[in-house]
Amino acid sequence: MVHSVAMPADHPVEPEFAPPAEDAYRLLVDSVLDYAIFMLDPAGRIVSWNAGAEQIKGYAARDVLGEHFSIFYPPEDLDARKPWHGLEVAAEVGRFEDEGWRLRKDGTRFWANVVITALTDASGELRGFAKVTRDMTERMRAEEALKASEERFRLLVQGVLDYAIFMLDPAGRVISWNAGAERIKGYSAEEIVGEHFSIFYPPEDLVARKPWRELEVAVDVGRFEDEGWRLRKDGTRFWANVVITALTDASGELRGFAKVTRDMTEHRRVERTLTEQRRLVGHLVEAQELERRRIAWDVHDDSIQSMVAVSMRLQLLANRLPEKEAAVVRQLDEAVRSSIGRLRNLVFRLRPPELDRHSLVEALDQYLLDVAGSSGLTYRLRHELDHEPPSDAAIAIFRIFQEALANVRKHARASAVEVSLTSVDGGTLVEIADDGVGVGEGAGTPSDGPTIDHFGMIEMRERAETSGGWWSVGDAAGGGTVVRFWIPSTRGGEP
Amino acid sequence: MTDPKLSVVISDDDPMIRDALREVLDAEPDFEVVAVARDADEAIELVERHEPAVVVLDARMPGGGGGRAAREIRLRFPNTGILALSAFTDHEMFREIQSAGVGEHLVKGASNSDIVAAVRRLGRPGRG
Repeated sequence: MVHSVAMPADHPVEPEFAPPAEDAYRLLVDSVLDYAIFMLDPAGRIVSWNAGAEQIKGYAARDVLGEHFSIFYPPEDLDARKPWHGLEVAAEVGRFEDEGWRLRKDGTRFWANVVITALTDASGELRGFAKVTRDMTERMRAEEALKASEERFRLLVQGVLDYAIFMLDPAGRVISWNAGAERIKGYSAEEIVGEHFSIFYPPEDLVARKPWRELEVAVDVGRFEDEGWRLRKDGTRFWANVVITALTDASGELRGFAKVTRDMTEHRRVERTLTEQRRLVGHLVEAQELERRRIAWDVHDDSIQSMVAVSMRLQLLANRLPEKEAAVVRQLDEAVRSSIGRLRNLVFRLRPPELDRHSLVEALDQYLLDVAGSSGLTYRLRHELDHEPPSDAAIAIFRIFQEALANVRKHARASAVEVSLTSVDGGTLVEIADDGVGVGEGAGTPSDGPTIDHFGMIEMRERAETSGGWWSVGDAAGGGTVVRFWIPSTRGGEP
Repeated sequence: MTDPKLSVVISDDDPMIRDALREVLDAEPDFEVVAVARDADEAIELVERHEPAVVVLDARMPGGGGGRAAREIRLRFPNTGILALSAFTDHEMFREIQSAGVGEHLVKGASNSDIVAAVRRLGRPGRG
C-alpha cells in the first residue's frame, strides 16, 4: 500500500504516519451529509446506507436496506427501465453517470446527480455497485432561472424592431441578428450570420478602413459611437447612429462586440425640414419687418401729413364761418385729429425697433418710456443678459413684447408693469407682469374684445414657436397677468 | 399800422403742409410769410436773404433736416426765432433739435392757435 511507505529519514518534524484504522472508511462514508453514498448488491438491492442518504432521500436505513434502488425513481423512469439500464452500463463499462429527477420518501422530487460505480473483486467478479447521489435541485433551479432570464432577454433583443442589435465576434463577423437588424438592413439572419460587418459600409468608408478602425477604438476605450451612411442589402443608403461596445469576459479577454444601429434617416429628414422651415420663417419675418417699415413710412409721410394739412385747413375754415357752421367744421376737425392720433399709434407700433442702432434692452426701455408716457403706466425693466440676442431673436422678442404691452394697455387696467430679461438655456427668458385684473377676468370681459385679445395671444405664441421658443400666459404672483416667453439665441440656420 | 408785420419763413418738404401752414400764418393780420422753402439748404438760403423774425422748420427734411438748418441759422442769425415741427415723438430727432437750440418745438397736428401762439412768442418776445 502506498500509505505504508516510510517517510524519508531527514524529515524529523513530521509526526509518524499511521495507516487508517480498519473502520475509518466506514466512518468517513457514514458521516458525509452532502452525498448519499450507499451500496447495492449485484441485483440492485440496497445493502448499505449513510447519513447523507438519509438526509437527501428521507429514508432511515431500516426503511431501505434490502429494497431495490428503483424505489428512488419516478414512474416515467421505471417505464423506461432506467434503473436497470444504469446498472447494466455500469457493469459493462465500470461507471454510469446521470442527472435527473428522483423521489424522496415523502414522494417529493429532487434533482440528482448520480454516479454508479461497479464493484468487482480481484477475480473480476461483480460484487455490487457503489452509488453516490448528490442533491442538485438548488443549483438546477438557479441554472434554470438564469437560462429563463437569458431567454427572456434574448427574446427581448430579438423582438426589438427600432434598433438593429447584433453581436460580432472579435474578428468582426456577425454572430447574432435581431428583427430590428433585419428590418433596418434588409438581411435575414441566415444571410448575414458569419459575414464581416464591413458589408454594411459604403465603399468610401471601406477605403478609409473605417469598420476596422471603429473596432479598434471600441477595444481601446470600450465603446465607439458614430453617425453616418450605411448600406442596406439592396444597396440603398440609410443614415445610421451606431454604437459599438466591446464585450470582455471576467478575465478581460475580448469576446466580441455588441453593435446597436438606429436608422436616423427619417429623423435627419425631419430635422432638415425643420431647419429649412426655420430659414423660411426667418425670411418671412425679415419680409414682414420690411413691409411693416414701408407701411409705417407710407402712413407717416403721406396719410398723416395730408390729414394734418386737412386739419389745419378745417380750423382756418371754421374761423371764417358763422358760428353755427363753424361748430360742424370743428367737429369734423376733431374727427380728423383723433384719426391722426390713431394713425400715429399705428406707425409707432409698426415702426422698426431700430435694433441695428440700439441694444435690445435700450430699444425696450425706449418703447416702455413712450408707452408709459402716453398711458400713465409706471414701469420697471430688469435685465441680466450675458449676451446680446442675435438680430432675428431680438426682433421676435421686441415684437412679442410690444404685443404683450399693447394687451396690458388695452385690457389689463393696470397701473404698473414689470419687465425682466434673463439669459437662460442659451436663449432669452422674458417676463412681462402687470398689476391689473389678471387673465381670467380680463379676457372674459366682452367689452374688452376677448376675440381680439385671443388673436394677439395666438400671434405671440406663434411668433415664439416659429423662433424655436415657447410662450405662456398666466396669473402673476401679486395678481394681474404675467406673460412669459423664451427665445433661443441660435441662428435660423442651426438646429 | 404802427408795428411792422412779423416776417416768417416756412420750410417743409411736404407741399400740402407747406401750403396749409402758409395759409394759417398769413391769416394772422400781424404775420407775413415772406418765403417758403422745401429743404434745409433752401431754408438757410431764404433766412439769409430775408432775415425773418421767425423760421418754421420741419424736423425731417432733405438736406440734413431741421436740425442742421436750425444749427446753422442759430449760428448765423441769432435774432431769428426758430420753431421746429416734428412728425411725432421721435426721441433721436427730439434730442437733435433740442441740441440745435430751437426756440420752440411742436408736434405736427398741434392746433393752429398753438402754432400761431408759438410763432408770436418767438417773433415778438416780451409781448407774448
